[in-house]
Amino acid sequence: MIAMLLILLPLAAAAGTYLAGKRQKLVQLTYGIGILGTALLTGIVAAMPENPLCRFYFRGEWALGVDRISVVILILTTLLFLLVSLHIHRWLPMEMAAHAAAHHTRMTALLRPNHLGAFLLAFLAMMLLVILARNLGLFWVALEATTLVSAPLIAFHRSQHSLEAMWKYLLICSVGIALALFGTMLLMAATPSAEDGLYFDHLKTISDSLRPGWFQTAFIFALAGYGTKMGLAPFHTWLPDAHSEAPGPVSALLSGALLNCAFLGIIRFHEIAPVQLRGFCSQLLIALGLLSLLVAAFLILRQDDYKRMLAYSSVEHMGLAAILWGLGAAEITLFHLGGHSLIKMMLFLLAGDLLLGCGTRSIASVGGLLRTMPRHAWLWMAGIFFICGTPPSPLFVTEWMLVQAAPLWLGGLVLTLLFVIFAGMSWIALKMIGGPAAEPTPAMRQAERFWLLPAVIFAAACGGGLWLLWQCNMWVR
Amino acid sequence: MSTEYMDVIWIVLLAADLVLAGSSRLFHCIRIVALQGILLGVLMLLSHGLSAETFAWQTVLTALIQGGIKGGLLPFLLIRAVRRADIRRELEPFIGYSLSLTVILLMAAAALVFCRGDWLAGRTHSFIAVPAALTTMMTGLLLIVARRKAITQAMGFLVFENGITAFGIGMNLESGFAVEMGILLDVLVLVFIMGITLFHINREFEHLDADKLNELGDLVENQPAPETNRETAI
Repeated sequence: MIAMLLILLPLAAAAGTYLAGKRQKLVQLTYGIGILGTALLTGIVAAMPENPLCRFYFRGEWALGVDRISVVILILTTLLFLLVSLHIHRWLPMEMAAHAAAHHTRMTALLRPNHLGAFLLAFLAMMLLVILARNLGLFWVALEATTLVSAPLIAFHRSQHSLEAMWKYLLICSVGIALALFGTMLLMAATPSAEDGLYFDHLKTISDSLRPGWFQTAFIFALAGYGTKMGLAPFHTWLPDAHSEAPGPVSALLSGALLNCAFLGIIRFHEIAPVQLRGFCSQLLIALGLLSLLVAAFLILRQDDYKRMLAYSSVEHMGLAAILWGLGAAEITLFHLGGHSLIKMMLFLLAGDLLLGCGTRSIASVGGLLRTMPRHAWLWMAGIFFICGTPPSPLFVTEWMLVQAAPLWLGGLVLTLLFVIFAGMSWIALKMIGGPAAEPTPAMRQAERFWLLPAVIFAAACGGGLWLLWQCNMWVR
Repeated sequence: MSTEYMDVIWIVLLAADLVLAGSSRLFHCIRIVALQGILLGVLMLLSHGLSAETFAWQTVLTALIQGGIKGGLLPFLLIRAVRRADIRRELEPFIGYSLSLTVILLMAAAALVFCRGDWLAGRTHSFIAVPAALTTMMTGLLLIVARRKAITQAMGFLVFENGITAFGIGMNLESGFAVEMGILLDVLVLVFIMGITLFHINREFEHLDADKLNELGDLVENQPAPETNRETAI
């Protein structure tokens, strides 16, 4: 029952926010109630996932609920939304003022605050439905719905470039996800009888009687489909455009929350694989993960746009997560996803502030941040080091475990690519914070005031990393 | 009794793919897509009538909604988008019409040969159902990659989705009432949002050529510097 509420509450709040129109206080109130209520319900569901109250049954089948994997993604998603909402609350007025100042001659309009709030809450509701859905058909419907409600968020600025990014996002993700729908149909064809349906928990119990040939094809299509949404190379092409054109907080959500949800689809398909096909599925995951790492390493080196650089870093980390899952390290994969979500969210929030302060996404034009926006410069540098896996980052632990668990050639290759990415990203970050600097402009001074939230997230990531390191030593002993 | 009728309908579906691949007039293409949608509704009704003795109201409802949305509402939204953007024809496609037609013909032949073995026996009610569905999917993908206008890409997605639905009908796969309604709702909202986006793109870019939507990217020669959103903020 609570699982059902968890989806209906943000949806109702989205409708309320939309209807609030231009009444700012009311918009903030409904949005706040929606997000806080969702956080509360998430807490309840996460605290007692086994409780029948937290599940929803439809005709005797378990339709909504969490297991030990999706509960982690559930907590992550809600936490990210809560933090990003805090940031948006202060960021939006400044962004609108800046936009009005720059475009007083042209008739361009941003997304209105009530529309922004409504789309954000609907986005949250659909992501929660993705996480809670126990039926693979429902899972598909919800994941496609996340594309639809997040597309208007990408075109927040309504500029030519953001419209282009939105079109690519809509088309590539929808076609990609349609492949996953075909994969789901093939999965149905793989079941021994027509009554088996698409309930994940039921399929898991009969996994060994699935027809191997059909399942193999189904897995390939599902991997291509959900891989598109997750940003695995070579299906990642929409990702850098969408992440760079969307405003900072939205990019943080796309990268930190949405990619995890898409990965959950691949995890689900992998979990119901018959025993004799497990190896095949894992190898496919490792191959695509390695390719993502390669593409990211190559394209990060030649970036001139710091938000695109972060987007390729997401491609890299999704690749790493796919490799980890392919190697069979489920817990480490979840730690990796969590670490990546937190640190990437912090970096995208910082990038949004830098864009607000400097007015450009070009790495070459942003220089001397250490003098103009010192707090952001330090946090940015630290965040970049953390996302590349410098200890005590939680990603250091997970990447170290990956190299330990992988065969020698794979571990060596991953390590080399990680070094390339580390060199590329830290070189870019150094270029941005160093160099000659002009006097800080008023915009920079204002953007600089948003440092607290990223700093808190950074501290949390630090604490998490230290805890993981400590746990790790325990394991070794 | 109705097996022969169903074979005929599957063949019409296949023929519609060929028309789509070879036609340049947008309104004509949209009407063909609408026809495909209605055929899918009819097929859904007939196939359930074959496999079950009694008619379930959910089946009839699903088929009606399927036919209504895909045969009426979606084409209406597409035609409205075309009218607002004022385009009539697809000019200079990347892959010419006769070549597209040949490709689809070859695909159809390949699909027929591919589905000839006994691995489909007992799962499908018509020898041509699965090949027709696969060909429809291929046609959708072809429209997406081979045409220049963004509106044709949106249409291509619809045809692709029609193909997947056709596959489900041909293989007698039932994903449940709620899931099928969810899929339809998703497609409906997608086409609706695409229509609005097309309107905005048309206004901002003053054209609807998807190949000119290439200002973003990493491998473009002479890549322009990333957009400067604001010269002076505040």
